[in-house]
Amino acid sequence: MSGIQEDDDLVFHKISSLLEPLNDKGIKLTRETDLIADLEIDSVSVLDIVMDIEDNYDISIPVNTISEIKTIGELVDAIHAIKKEQS
Amino acid sequence: MSLFDKFQNTAVLYKSLLESTGRDPFGVSMDEMRGPTRAIVEGKEIVLAGTNNYLGMTYHDDAVTAAKDAIDSDGTGTTGSRFANGTYAAHRQLEEDLAAFLGFKHCMVFSTGYQANLGAISALAAPPHDVILIDADCHACIYDGCQLSGAETIRFRHNDPESLDKRLSRLGDDVKGKLVCFEGMYSMFGDTAPVKELVEVAHKHGAMALLDEAHSFGVYGDSGRGVCEAQGVQGDVDFYSGTFSKSLASIGGFVASNHPELEYLRFSSRPYMFTASPSPANVAAASAALAKISSDGSMRQSLWDNARRIHAAFTQLGFDLCAEAGPVIAAKLANKEEAFVAWNFLMENGVYVNLAIPPGTPNATSILRLSVSAAHTAEDLDIVVNAYTALAAILAKETVSA
Repeated sequence: MSGIQEDDDLVFHKISSLLEPLNDKGIKLTRETDLIADLEIDSVSVLDIVMDIEDNYDISIPVNTISEIKTIGELVDAIHAIKKEQS
Repeated sequence: MSLFDKFQNTAVLYKSLLESTGRDPFGVSMDEMRGPTRAIVEGKEIVLAGTNNYLGMTYHDDAVTAAKDAIDSDGTGTTGSRFANGTYAAHRQLEEDLAAFLGFKHCMVFSTGYQANLGAISALAAPPHDVILIDADCHACIYDGCQLSGAETIRFRHNDPESLDKRLSRLGDDVKGKLVCFEGMYSMFGDTAPVKELVEVAHKHGAMALLDEAHSFGVYGDSGRGVCEAQGVQGDVDFYSGTFSKSLASIGGFVASNHPELEYLRFSSRPYMFTASPSPANVAAASAALAKISSDGSMRQSLWDNARRIHAAFTQLGFDLCAEAGPVIAAKLANKEEAFVAWNFLMENGVYVNLAIPPGTPNATSILRLSVSAAHTAEDLDIVVNAYTALAAILAKETVSA
C-alpha cells in the first residue's frame, strides 16, 4: 500500500462513506473487507456504488475491472491506477 | 463441495421463501394452459398477469394455423444452425419481412432474443480497442454479450444522456469502435428510454447505437415499431434488436440495421453460428403474428386500454408504481420479505404476477411486476383489480400495526 495510511486515504474514506448505508451488520470497514462476502452487497449494488465513485473522481471504471475486485482495498487500488491512467 | 459453496446464500434465501408459504415464486408450474391469460396451477384456475404476452397472440388463429402448417411442410426441427443446414426459405422470408416492417435494409434472425443481443454485441465489439457503453439497467443478455465480447464495458446512469456523454468524453484516443447499448422499454419497471437523446449523444462521439426493443416492439409507436417510432427516430439507431417471445407470440430473436456490414455477423457471431436455428413452427408463428400486427392495430389498442385501466386502479389503491401506464405495471414493496408475502397473497387470490427482487431489479427494489395483455378480458382484469384491492388493505393494516 506504498506508505499510504488508511486514515489518510481520501479514496478509502470516500468509498467507506458510500458503503456505510449498505453496511447493515455494522462491521468495521477495512481494506480487507470483502464487498460481497462480508458486506453481503449484491453484484449490481457494487456496480452502482462504483458509478458514484466514477462521477466523484470523473473517471470510468470498466465493468471488466470491477468483476475482479473482491475487497475495498482492491477497489481503492483500482481507482488510484485508473486516476493515474486517465488523468 | 467447493463448487457448490457459492450458491449457499441464494439457496438459504430461496429455502426461507419456500418455507414461509410452501410455494416457490421462481418455480411455478403452469400445469394446464387454458388460453393466453388463464392456466391451472395447483389445481386452481388463475389469471396470468406476468407472461409478457402483450398482444395476446399465442392462441391467435393465424399464428396457430401457420405453425401447424409449417410442421406439416418443414418438420418439427431444423437440426442445424443458421450457418449450416438450418436456414430455410421461411427464415430468410421472416428476415425480409421484419426489415420491411421496421424500415431497415438488413435483418438477421437468431434462435432467441437473448442470443440476438448476445450474438450482436459479442461480434461487434472486440478487445482491446473497442468499448461498449451500456445503460446500467440493461437486461442480463446485454451484460452477457459484453462479457462474451471481452471488450471493455462501461455502465452509464440509467436513462441519462449526460452520464453517457461524460463517459464517452473520457475515452482515450486509442479507442477504435464504440457501441452504446440501451433498451426501448425496460422490462422490470416498464419505463422508457430517451432514445432520441441517447442516439444523438452516441453519434456525436462517433459511437454506434444498439437499441433493444424486446418489450416495446409491437406495443409502442403508431404502428408498433417501438419506442424509437414513438419518438420519431426509428431510422436513426444503428442496430435494432428484438424478440419473438413477447408480442410475436413465439420464440426467437432478431437484429435489424441499415449497415450492410450486419451480414458479417453471419460468419462471426458465435451465438448465431453455433446453435440450432428456430424451428419451422416458431418461425411461422412469428411471421403470422408480424403480418397481423402490420395490418391490424386493434390488439395494440386493447393492450393500451387494459394498461390504462390497471394503472389507474393501482394508482387509486395507493401502490407505489415504477412508471407511467404501459404494458408493464410494477409496484414497489418495502423489501424482499413483504414482496414475497404480497406475491403469495395474489397467487392465493387467483392472480399470477412476477416477483422480482435484487439483484434482478434496479436500485435494489423488490417489486410485483404485472404484464398486461391485449387478451385480458374485462373479467380477468376484475379478478386482478380485486386481488390487488385486498392486498392493498392488508399492506395498509401491516403498516398501521408496525
